[in-house]
Amino acid sequence: MLTEFGKIFVFIILAGAFVGIAIFAAMLIRPKRPSHEKDLIYECGENPEGSPWVKFNIRFYVVALIFLIFDVEIVLLFPWALVYKTFGFYGFVAGAIFLLVLFLGMAYEWRKGDLEWARPKINRLELNKLLEKKEQQVS
Amino acid sequence: MLENLFKDLSLIYPEIIVSVTLLLVVLFDLIYDKNKTIIPYLGLIGLFAALFYSLGSVDIETHAFIIGDTGNKFGLLSLDPFGNYFRIIILITSILIIFFTKSSSEIHSISERSGEFYTLLLGMVLGMMFMVSASDLIMIYISVEILSLSSYVLTGFTKLRDRDSEASLKYLIYGSASSGIMLFGMSLIYGLIGSTNIYEINEVLQTTSINSIIYSFALILIFAGIGFKISAAPFHFWTPDVYEGAPISITAFLSVASKAAGFALLIRFVKVTFLADNIEGNWILLQGFDWQNFLIIISVLTMTLGNFAALWQDNLKRMLAYSSIAHAGYMLLGIAVLTDQGLLAVMIYFLVYLLMNIGAFYIVMIIANNIGSENINDYNKLGSAAPFLGVSLTIFLISLTGLPPTAGFISKLYIFIALLDVKMIAVAVIAVLNSVVSLYYYIRVLKHMFINETDKTVPEIKVSLNDVVFILILLVPTLILGVYFSPIVDFAQAFLSILVN
Amino acid sequence: MEVGLNHFLTVSVALFALGLYGVVTRKNAVMVLMGVELILNSANINFVAFSRFGNLGINGQIYALFVIILAAAEAAIALAIVLNIYKTFANVNIDEIKNLKE
Repeated sequence: MLTEFGKIFVFIILAGAFVGIAIFAAMLIRPKRPSHEKDLIYECGENPEGSPWVKFNIRFYVVALIFLIFDVEIVLLFPWALVYKTFGFYGFVAGAIFLLVLFLGMAYEWRKGDLEWARPKINRLELNKLLEKKEQQVS
Repeated sequence: MLENLFKDLSLIYPEIIVSVTLLLVVLFDLIYDKNKTIIPYLGLIGLFAALFYSLGSVDIETHAFIIGDTGNKFGLLSLDPFGNYFRIIILITSILIIFFTKSSSEIHSISERSGEFYTLLLGMVLGMMFMVSASDLIMIYISVEILSLSSYVLTGFTKLRDRDSEASLKYLIYGSASSGIMLFGMSLIYGLIGSTNIYEINEVLQTTSINSIIYSFALILIFAGIGFKISAAPFHFWTPDVYEGAPISITAFLSVASKAAGFALLIRFVKVTFLADNIEGNWILLQGFDWQNFLIIISVLTMTLGNFAALWQDNLKRMLAYSSIAHAGYMLLGIAVLTDQGLLAVMIYFLVYLLMNIGAFYIVMIIANNIGSENINDYNKLGSAAPFLGVSLTIFLISLTGLPPTAGFISKLYIFIALLDVKMIAVAVIAVLNSVVSLYYYIRVLKHMFINETDKTVPEIKVSLNDVVFILILLVPTLILGVYFSPIVDFAQAFLSILVN
Repeated sequence: MEVGLNHFLTVSVALFALGLYGVVTRKNAVMVLMGVELILNSANINFVAFSRFGNLGINGQIYALFVIILAAAEAAIALAIVLNIYKTFANVNIDEIKNLKE
């Protein structure tokens, strides 16, 4: 009577209902004593350090961008690998050209210093100026 | 199968030459980072080689890169004289633009990054060259993206002023949204018809008539992507901002080459996909979607909006941006008539538009190099300070208006002839009225240059010999073709044929 | 109930509508770009679903692969440009960045 997806649907409803009922029951019977300690963010029992909304270093983004490109380009190698045998040597050459172009791109990143994890180029003064500019806009 | 591949690769030598040049530029930039002055010449060598090869392969008319079973007849690219003509226009433009960048002070200020600049420029050229011969929806999408991705970066490349990055962001947002919408339209067409090849779509449409809302909807979505590239009316919002913010050389490149590629794509898409019959140069299109009225509405809207918005512009780059929108409107009329005569008119128009638009932008660039402004109020009395520039700009602007004895007149004349041939008198009258409106804002520049008094001291304008030669190369044909125009008509006529079913 | 073409199309149309809504209404440039990604992925779902249920061979799936790669390239360039915007304007809200007059 139930199709495969029907079973999953029933399962989803039951799973949701179980959580809902458990929370509702706990709400009815638990004691209510709110305190500051309970509102803190859980950091393995320690008092939390600083805000959870830290700003990541901007170089994470650059590395992420480079990773994103090279990671996704590799997808094109899967269909190539499937038909590799039918094309033999020329298939190898075609794949080699593709990889060579990718390698050129990576060599470029390397040479231009985008892969280096050195100190930030933006200096303190400029950063302060930017922050002031932002504060002015906020106020 | 492999023999076919080698044969197909031999058909696209110009594209291969440009790709190899691109890689060489990257390699050169990596290895010799002391001396960057050679890089533009490296690009020039590649572009000239591609141009000569394109000029030599006039007669080729074939399908290339056939995918799938051996029974398939149609490939990813279709190479024909029409595509070759636009390829030649794009290559000539890019060669001129490389000379253009050599005398632009904006590009000099980033000379340590010129390797990346010319790599991206060649990337744009490559995308456009594939655009003009793409005959599969997915190939169209990929080539449009190759062009777009390079041009997003180039728009904000100099980072000299805040407006550069802003232009880049606006171009990116409008561009990526419209290409995404185009891709969605393509996926609907793939579902409705079962193929993405425009020749196969044509075969299917000829046997079964598809007449549903989804079909029209999908075609409008696809037009949104192409209309963005040619800056047609409802999709033109990016144009003024991007043209104003980008470096002038890139603005000139976008306004001519990118537009040419978009028009080639639109013409091939409309003619190949929807052609039912071709009677003595009149294209009879299939039922289901009324391309003629659709294109007429778009083009009238485009030229009217472009011309009227240009009236209030004080920044010359911005004014030329609106004027380029208006020109896109005139050229769309050449497609809307759906005849070979109209196609010829568009092809002539682009050759002329190339000369006069690059010329006008070049003079704006020289003046901006010297006085650091593109505002029309700073142009007061510049005509007497630099008479050569003043007179040349006058001629280019008269040509853009479409008055005799300049080449601009001939190109407009051919559009009007094509319109009158199919008895579209009302549309022709609107186009003429638009030209009259455009006269006002072009003349306004001349008024500032020659008549208006100024209380400031008129700055000195340095014009080098290179500048004079470059301007003369564009100026002389603009004047000569206005009187003796049979060579360009013959030249365009030789490239008229599009490969159809 | 068998999951068929219509289910996939419903999902893809919903994604397209959400993406378009995001592009039109969002102020934050990164959010707008996420809307664009949704539009691209809705087209991808269409390609794959049509090629699977329409017996159109494997072409549609290969197209989806190409679109994914182009989307990644576009995202990389887009984020680089947005980063550049943040360095210049110290925010990425589209309606606050208007040096170029309308």
